[in-house]
Amino acid sequence: MYEKHGAALAAYECSCGLDHASAEDVVQQLFLKLLGKKIFVPQTPLAYLYRATRNASLNLRRNRRRETNLTETESWFVHPNGNRDECLHLQQALQELPEEQREIVFLKVWSGMTLLEISKVTETPLNTVASRYRYALGKLRERLVSHFRKEG
Amino acid sequence: MGPHDEETEHYLEEFQPQAVRKLQIVAQAGTSLWKRLAAAAAIVVCVGGALWFSRHEFKRSQVGANRASMLTVADKRQPRSTLSLTVLALEDGKKFETLLTDESRISLPDFREEQSTLKILAKD
Repeated sequence: MYEKHGAALAAYECSCGLDHASAEDVVQQLFLKLLGKKIFVPQTPLAYLYRATRNASLNLRRNRRRETNLTETESWFVHPNGNRDECLHLQQALQELPEEQREIVFLKVWSGMTLLEISKVTETPLNTVASRYRYALGKLRERLVSHFRKEG
Repeated sequence: MGPHDEETEHYLEEFQPQAVRKLQIVAQAGTSLWKRLAAAAAIVVCVGGALWFSRHEFKRSQVGANRASMLTVADKRQPRSTLSLTVLALEDGKKFETLLTDESRISLPDFREEQSTLKILAKD
């Protein structure tokens, strides 16, 4: 599970404002707690993991309020072409999404869940999940297209 | 989902999240395994020691009890005087022999004592 979803969880945390090293630390700690059975995990742990990592990253950010933010230049995605700029623009676009939409995009695209599964684990009606996902994709497309137009 | 959405989805899938380092659980598991083994060994030693000690004590108390009972039997017997023994030896040799054998079973001198006859004989 860590190998399958660890990277996506870390990227999701980065989208919540953490740097990649801290995101990795948070994900590691969470999985170690999970393996040590130090926390109660529901039957479908993926949504729980997303929530838990988000909360952990929020706490960490609150503690580090006064520190300099270096995350803007850090890439938490890899593109096959190695285009770092594209990664940074995608990151920015993701960060501008509302929390509930961003979570669904990560669960769907990088954790490989279906909309039905997402609706079950997030306890949200399927229609709501589907429309949030559509809105998110629309916003991302808009942002990315406008970027490419600017770039020419 | 419309064709644009699918296109966007495929585009997003091209990006892969940065890999994360391996979960550092091996070292921790190893440490906890050693701790568990050490704890188990300590428990085994304690329980084994307690069992050995209790059995040892039990044997000692049994020996002590036997010895005490033998001593009480010996104490209960009437001590015979030298004259009565001489008379018995003259009148009934067999009975005298039997008496000596019985007496020897319970009233032999302790050979562990420093100058006991049996200890000296045993050395020779």
